[in-house]
Amino acid sequence: MSQKPASAIIEIDRVSQVFQTSSRRDHLALSDISLTIDEGAFVSILGPSGCGKSTLLYIVGGFVSPTSGVAKIKGQAITGPGPDRGPVFQEFALFPWKTVLGNVMYGPRQQGVRAAAAEAQSRALIEMVGLKGYENFYPKELSGGMKQRVALARTLAYHPEVLLMDEPFGALDAHTRTRLQNDLLNIWERDRKTVLFVTHSVDEAVFLSDKVVMMSKSPGRIRQLIDIDLPRPRRRNELLLDPRYQKHVVDIERMFDESDEGGSAS
Amino acid sequence: MISPAALIRRAAPVLACIGLLAAWQAGSLALKNDSFPTAIEAIRAIPDILGDKESLINILASLRRMAIGFGVAVLVSIPLGLLMGRSRAVAAFFNPLLMVIYPVPKAALMPIIMLWLGVGDITKTLVIFLGVSLPVIYHSFEGAKAVEEKMLWSGAAMGLSPVQRLMRIVLPAALPEILTGCRTGLVLALITMITSEMIARQSGAGNILFNALDMGQYDTVFAMIIIVGAMGICLDAIFERVRARLVRWSEPQFDMPLSFS
Repeated sequence: MSQKPASAIIEIDRVSQVFQTSSRRDHLALSDISLTIDEGAFVSILGPSGCGKSTLLYIVGGFVSPTSGVAKIKGQAITGPGPDRGPVFQEFALFPWKTVLGNVMYGPRQQGVRAAAAEAQSRALIEMVGLKGYENFYPKELSGGMKQRVALARTLAYHPEVLLMDEPFGALDAHTRTRLQNDLLNIWERDRKTVLFVTHSVDEAVFLSDKVVMMSKSPGRIRQLIDIDLPRPRRRNELLLDPRYQKHVVDIERMFDESDEGGSAS
Repeated sequence: MISPAALIRRAAPVLACIGLLAAWQAGSLALKNDSFPTAIEAIRAIPDILGDKESLINILASLRRMAIGFGVAVLVSIPLGLLMGRSRAVAAFFNPLLMVIYPVPKAALMPIIMLWLGVGDITKTLVIFLGVSLPVIYHSFEGAKAVEEKMLWSGAAMGLSPVQRLMRIVLPAALPEILTGCRTGLVLALITMITSEMIARQSGAGNILFNALDMGQYDTVFAMIIIVGAMGICLDAIFERVRARLVRWSEPQFDMPLSFS
């Protein structure tokens, strides 16, 4: 079930990123990152804050161009954002002047889907993320968890091949976070889109992913790739008791502790 | 049923106006100065002005110049401000220019503009335009700068071109701030309208006011001040209605009780 014929959808080839700090000094945010992501895989990038994990995601998204190296999607070099890669940000980034329905319909409308069809699809998606009845609410009227559900629906609505999730649950309280993790897994297990998921939470990475990319800080490098061979579909209450799950979490936390980066996550 | 507190809140503006007029009346009676007519005398002069065809034509001409100056200023300033907010190069070019022009009283430029363009409508409308554009540019600039980068990234991922992002994301997202600038601009339009007519005395509401001053018709002077003030209140109230409708999505959901209330 968890094994399927794998073909690379995203290839990151010797990518480095240098930022200029406000004091005009060069800061090496990412150093020589190479990584391949298979189609349909759920891959988490895990690391302490400031390790460049979000930057790596933005490079794949085409929002930031790397200083050197190249990122490719399906063999094509990434030169900018595109609807094949759908971002979901920690800050939600919803359009506050649009209702929930308006936000979710925005992508399909932009892609030229007719209003009636876009609305029907969007209503179905809103129901899928558990927000039926909130179609005409404005973002300011929603809680953080609900906003992130809308953001997920808005991105799914234009059918990206890869979901790019940038600490999507980082701003939510523990309870909401758990519920959204469960719901995300349910949705993902339905259509198995490729997901690149940035987080600093070890539990979250292990719970969700097929593969965890551990990063270290200053400069941001890949430290280790860990396959999470836990069976799917995953149920949280079963998994928490599963010794294999516990071992993964403990191993990863220990690895973070060994390096003196103070970056052991939650 | 309206609670007593709500009743007081609603009646407050009316009470404030009555209080102001009463203080005026009392002050005027106490001072007994020819150049300071009582509130009642001033109010009595209002129907004479509004009933006079010539005066009405003057006031309407003022309003027309103001509408044109304000409208053109808004149409030019919003795109410029938005571009400045999203492009460092555009901002770097225009910012110093604007910082030089901003503190200069626009009416002070008027004698020069009169030399170039005469004392007619174009000069006055141009001065109104200048008065309105700066706050609108400034607020559009600030509003556009504050738009969350990730909102634009989300739009880019959906396939919006840079121009579409400016018009369909930056513009609506910055709208509350833009409208704050427009509201300041509207008040400035009224001020520059009157001052422009004070300098180039030819027609308009300001012209009536300063002619009356020259002739010592102080009741007309104060009546005109009341009329201009009332125009300001009305325009602002209309604008506020439009604004509230356009940016309902950004207003706080509940009325927060203010401290001291």
